Amino acid sequence: MKNFQLSAVRTTGTAPPPTHSTPDSPRADGIRLAHVARRFGSGDAELTALRDIELEVRAGEFLAILGPSGCGKSTLLQIVAGLLAPSAGEVLFRGRPVTEPPEGMVYLFQQYTKSLLPWRSVAGNVALAFEADRRLTRQQVHARASEYLGLVGLAGFEKHYPWQLSGGMQQRVAIARALAAEPRVLLLDEPFSAVDALTRVELQALVLELRRQRGLTVVLVTHDVDEAVFLADRIAILSKRPTVVEEIVETRIPHPRDAIETRELPRFLELRHTLMERLLGREPRP
Amino acid sequence: MSRARLVERWLPGTLAVAGVLAAWELLGRGGTLNPALLPAPSVVLATLVDVVRDDALAPPIARTLALMATGYLIACACGIALGVAMGRSEAVHALMEPLVELVRPIPKPALIPPLFLFLGIGLQTMLFIVVLAAFFPVLINTVQGVRGVDPVLLDTARTLRLSRRATVLRVVLPAALPMVATGMRVSLGLALTLVVVAEMLAGENGVGFLILDMQRAFQIQKMYAWLVVLALLGLLLNGAFEWAERRALPWRAHLS
Repeated sequence: MKNFQLSAVRTTGTAPPPTHSTPDSPRADGIRLAHVARRFGSGDAELTALRDIELEVRAGEFLAILGPSGCGKSTLLQIVAGLLAPSAGEVLFRGRPVTEPPEGMVYLFQQYTKSLLPWRSVAGNVALAFEADRRLTRQQVHARASEYLGLVGLAGFEKHYPWQLSGGMQQRVAIARALAAEPRVLLLDEPFSAVDALTRVELQALVLELRRQRGLTVVLVTHDVDEAVFLADRIAILSKRPTVVEEIVETRIPHPRDAIETRELPRFLELRHTLMERLLGREPRP
Repeated sequence: MSRARLVERWLPGTLAVAGVLAAWELLGRGGTLNPALLPAPSVVLATLVDVVRDDALAPPIARTLALMATGYLIACACGIALGVAMGRSEAVHALMEPLVELVRPIPKPALIPPLFLFLGIGLQTMLFIVVLAAFFPVLINTVQGVRGVDPVLLDTARTLRLSRRATVLRVVLPAALPMVATGMRVSLGLALTLVVVAEMLAGENGVGFLILDMQRAFQIQKMYAWLVVLALLGLLLNGAFEWAERRALPWRAHLS
């Protein structure tokens, strides 16, 4: 466990080249949001959370969606995931409209304590993602759960229960379970906001490493500028409600990213500065 | 628990029970209580020992428990099944809720006379009334439990693409189980109550039948002996339920 954490903070290897596949190829994992809007309530109480979202997620990229609190970031991600229907517009994944959670896409919840099943062991929680597959024997199910737990540094914790683990470890279980569904696209809803600062650094490194190993497309929703700049290849900046995409920024920060050194790069500091200014509504410095 | 804490936990209650029994015994022996109406505890105990010696204890208990268990299990199965349907589907809920709320508040013993008309004075009526009494607490608590499942848990099942069946069996039911168990506990007490009432009105055997039968035959000591049996039975069932509940829901204690 200790060794793993140390090695995980410094991600290794090189970033995958963003696979710019043709948008209309059905195998491409790209996502397109066309005029997505979402309203809640009706009549006088009607609230327009999302006004008109135009956004493209390229296959293989790490896209951060950054916006102030209450701008509908989570709503947006739930629409992408097929968990929530848009009031207007549509989401296309692999060229097909998303109407329910599609195969190849998994949503990771911010509230890992609510997302894990307290009556199941850690291995049982991971197995939830694939145990319906009748071709697998009990032993195979268990072996596969162990394998995914190993990926997130939780080998040996199979028989523990979620409530016996720290917050960071619980979120690792949730990550292992998400990976166990064999997704091509990982949707992260502020997954590190409920853990302490050091654990957050470790989990960020873990996600970057897993994404590299498995060539995943990742969409991250966050209000944390530092996190968005550190993790993402591109950052979509959302306006206040009613929300639109204001701008998309390429981070142009090289991989592999290091928890300490990357944050000292001039490009990192510059980007963080301008994005903070925008989110806080300050005038840019001359 | 340490010895001191055990003493602290159990001593006052034990003393209270012992005190009541001692007072009852003393008043009985002193002649204050009419032994024909309320014999002393020692006399009741001696009568109970006689019943045990005559091998007369087990058959009535077995009959009462068999009837109760059958009705209870049918009620739990039906209550959980309909409860899940009502908890998961707005349409089923809208259809069934007024009906449920109409029948639920009726004190179930009141339904025994009309049931005699349809099912006769016998086993069918007794079983039906036990099922009916035990059904509603399980149903109501299952509906609440299923409706109260955290939306994040349901969305987790959706994003992992669990089938509807798998969602119910692997996520919804276990999550609702603590509430279902609460209903089942209430139902257990009701099932015992109703089986005794039913046996008194329509039985030919069983503990409830015997208590009334002994009173009518002026075998007052035996009546009290069977009453003691019933009290112990209730205690035992409750203890067994709590034990099973702790084993089935070990995670409950750890939820905030």
